[in-house]
Amino acid sequence: MRTSSPGVRGGKADSKSSRTRRPCSCETEQICPNKAPGEEGDPKALQQAADEGRPHQAPSTSQLSPAPPAPAQLVQKAHELMWYVLVKDQKRMIIWFPDMVKDVIGSYKKWCRSILRRTSLILARVFGLHLRLTSLHTMEFSLVKALEPEELDRVALSNRMPMTGLLLMILSLIYVKGRGARESAVWNVLRILGLRPWKKHSTFGDVRKLITEEFVQQNYLKYQRVPHVEPPEYEFFWGSRASREITKMQIMEFLARVFKKNPQAWPSRYREALEEARALREAHPTAHCPRNSVSED
Amino acid sequence: MQGNTRRTGIMTDVHRRFLQLLMTHGVLEECDVKRLQKHCYKVHDCNATIEKLEDFINNINSVLESLYIEIKKGVTEDDGRPIYALVNLATTSISKMASDFAENELDLFRKALELIIDSDTGFASSTNILNLVDQLKGKKMRKKEAEHVLQKFVQSKWLIEKEGEFTLHGRAILEMDQYIRETYPDAVKVCNICRSLLIQGQSCETCGIRMHLPCVAKYFQSNSEPHCPHCNDYWPHEVPEVFDPEKERETGMSRSNKRSLRSRQH
Repeated sequence: MRTSSPGVRGGKADSKSSRTRRPCSCETEQICPNKAPGEEGDPKALQQAADEGRPHQAPSTSQLSPAPPAPAQLVQKAHELMWYVLVKDQKRMIIWFPDMVKDVIGSYKKWCRSILRRTSLILARVFGLHLRLTSLHTMEFSLVKALEPEELDRVALSNRMPMTGLLLMILSLIYVKGRGARESAVWNVLRILGLRPWKKHSTFGDVRKLITEEFVQQNYLKYQRVPHVEPPEYEFFWGSRASREITKMQIMEFLARVFKKNPQAWPSRYREALEEARALREAHPTAHCPRNSVSED
Repeated sequence: MQGNTRRTGIMTDVHRRFLQLLMTHGVLEECDVKRLQKHCYKVHDCNATIEKLEDFINNINSVLESLYIEIKKGVTEDDGRPIYALVNLATTSISKMASDFAENELDLFRKALELIIDSDTGFASSTNILNLVDQLKGKKMRKKEAEHVLQKFVQSKWLIEKEGEFTLHGRAILEMDQYIRETYPDAVKVCNICRSLLIQGQSCETCGIRMHLPCVAKYFQSNSEPHCPHCNDYWPHEVPEVFDPEKERETGMSRSNKRSLRSRQH
């Protein structure tokens, strides 16, 4: 198993260089002749990782049609992949490489390197977004903002919820447990997103500070010492603001999306969510979707 | 990378951030879009004059053209609010939703869509949709589950629910305009005034032409005796008011109040 190397993670520096190289006459209809050496490392490593993880590939159709596809077809695939990634990100879904291959790249898997490269270029040039491989282990990508400053958009359209995905991950863990979540359990879960307490993250920054201080200050989380435990341990609870702004049903939707299951897979929690939804409807019969709902962030 | 973008086709960080945020929100009303534009200027280029929204969007669209995506402007069918969404023009199916829903869920949407388009009112009742649950492709779905899936569609702004009936959200109409016209060329209805796709609206009882509610509002504005533009017969329905963003802000009327004052008529 490859450990992450600078070549794999080196996205940001490479993308900046690809941005300043914009005078390149690479209109999307033509294949870009300028191959950025740094970018080769990214998808190549991914491709190898994908191949390593799948020793018994079914005979791919690319083997049956040896001729490379027309440039226009690769361009079209890159456009489809761009949209696919944008929509996944919009829905706060995990962008998983095997899904990318299954849903978009398909029989062009052999050329996924160039398709990925073109998609990354377009996303950087047009949207100012980085398609970054965040976890080689789980083959997850994420779209990271490549514009400075990064933090302001959260308040752009009014007081929307910050860092929704990260927060929801923690809140849903607490909800499913039915009691406080120990800090160690929270970090186990965040590891899935590729987050570690000691590592600075390009989007979230100092994650530990974010969840133990900022979210707590904003009353989305409570961070308390576990009584009678030595050495000291801490646990997280829902904050008062989370209880006000987020419904249990939204948590169930989130869980369903992330784990690709029916929310009824957590039967007692789902029942609780239904109860709460009914109580809310009875309390506010004329209200429609709350303005600060998760789906609007 | 500074912000003098008089030439079309140049993307600056102002445009990029705008696109990012528009994509994040899926669909936005015009007032929010204007605020968004202002925000993007403030972040990246606070000294530049804010370009007129229409030109700003046309500039961005000229860059997006080669990618087969577009910022489309539409109008909500019930109360005439302008909305904007980034849409994929290259879709040949309901592919925008495809990554979000399972096969049987997508098929449920297709069934609901068909019922909505075939209906006279533009609404399909929950009962009629749920009765088709046995015909869905993919994993078997129970009616209880289907109810939940329909609510998911409402939350994702693909459908609107009113009193147990479902119609298309403005966003779905924007995104799927082409798909709907191609898939249901005979059943599709078109507004007599603006010639766009029509799901909800008013119709002439004599000659059958249809018009969107906001189109009716504009066409018959300050006309005390409205007549059908096609057959000149007396127009029997209540003429709604033209949407005025200024007025709404002043009175502070909430959307839900406004909805209950309008009735859909056919």
